[in-house]
Amino acid sequence: MTSTPRHHWIVRVTHWVNAVALTLMVASGLRIFNAHPDFARPGNTFCCYPFAGKAVPGALTFGGWLAGARHWHFAMMWVLVVNGLVYLAFVYLHGEWRDLVPRRGDIRDSWEMLRFYLFARSDHPRQGKHNALQKGAYFVMPWVGALSVASGIAIWKPVQLAPLTGLLGGYQWARYWHFVSMSAIVALAVGHVFMVFAVDPYALRSMITGGYSERLSPEQRNARPFINLLPPRKGGAKAKRT
Amino acid sequence: MSVDRRDFLRAGGASLAAALLGACDAEGPQRAARLLEYAQRKNESLERSLFRHTAMDHAKPGALASGDAFPSYFVSDAVPALDAAASAAWRLEVGGMVSRPLALSLDDLMRLERRTQRVNHYCVEGWTAVAEFTGVPLRELARLAGADPKAGYVDFQSFDDDYHESWDAESAMHPQTLVVYAKDGAALTTAYGAPARVHSPVKLGYKNTKYLTKVVFLPERNGGYWSDRGYEWYAGL
Repeated sequence: MTSTPRHHWIVRVTHWVNAVALTLMVASGLRIFNAHPDFARPGNTFCCYPFAGKAVPGALTFGGWLAGARHWHFAMMWVLVVNGLVYLAFVYLHGEWRDLVPRRGDIRDSWEMLRFYLFARSDHPRQGKHNALQKGAYFVMPWVGALSVASGIAIWKPVQLAPLTGLLGGYQWARYWHFVSMSAIVALAVGHVFMVFAVDPYALRSMITGGYSERLSPEQRNARPFINLLPPRKGGAKAKRT
Repeated sequence: MSVDRRDFLRAGGASLAAALLGACDAEGPQRAARLLEYAQRKNESLERSLFRHTAMDHAKPGALASGDAFPSYFVSDAVPALDAAASAAWRLEVGGMVSRPLALSLDDLMRLERRTQRVNHYCVEGWTAVAEFTGVPLRELARLAGADPKAGYVDFQSFDDDYHESWDAESAMHPQTLVVYAKDGAALTTAYGAPARVHSPVKLGYKNTKYLTKVVFLPERNGGYWSDRGYEWYAGL
């Protein structure tokens, strides 16, 4: 099968390191959160969290107990941050950022992708390396990551770095933004993994060996979630339009 | 048995998933413990290099004092309380590497330089409470006792069973580190550590020994009740 190089090894390595570090950070963070699953000061209420007092299921947590989870969280944060900086530096220096920054027309293209997924249009919109929705998600991810790092530092050092904590609205709010940015990262990651398996499982190969077969791209297969997952038949120029 | 790449990936994925599922709600592999300790040491030296006496904590202007909603803990079987006679006999001892060991009654403490501050109390569990604390800055007690500048650590001991926590001297000498005898304008009550306690916004709650009996200046760190039970020793904010 012919394949063209898609992901540089630095992108592949940082992607999988990120997957492991992020999983451990989220799970240990949830274990820490369970020690006080609320954002209000004792005796107060907090406007914007409807599940106050409800602990996250233990199966989603890591660290075993509060101190154990804190040790993991404060160690793994360095892996996550250093790995993220290596990725961003590479993407900047190697030019890959051009595939990810928003451009004029991206909103229209995202709308067309959405219409395609909702069967309001029959053919897959033309795309480059990523479709417009995908590109948006990958572009937003580092920004949400930066918010989660900033809010994390703000609740780690709320006295020594008081101006940062103040900028985020104080300790309670910084803790809230840390939780919200984590939730957004989890939502993006879950959506990403779902789309890989439901639309473009061939992309998994490109994130392991680096090679990607353009003949199998979602655009060539006219693929929606769970539709036209299999490779197009030999001889057929393009998959049948649905 | 021949294993092609597909089988390899499948088996690898399955074992990774099993490892992840097995790890849920667990402390993680024992082998990681040394790595985590290493990270903790590195974090501590970074945090200590970041530490400034000019960085101060102030409760948000609009935040009401938490009052009795301020949670309180002790480790004895019952609230450690002193009766009237014991209260009268209570002394705060300042000792260790000092040139003039002190034994101060509550009245003595209240005659010393005082500071009143409206600050946050940061609990390791993630909640904070607001209170106005009044007490003697620890740096003033250190000055009166003639603490040796070479004493890099301070241990705060209590009559709450064997509860104590030792600190780095820089944090103990922070202007907001107080030996507190009043909270929200009234004498400290039993729940909050009467007759006197340590309070500082620069350390997590568990470092702030209540039911204080001794302040000991030391050349080495001396662990602590929660620090010896797996919580980080430095716990700075």
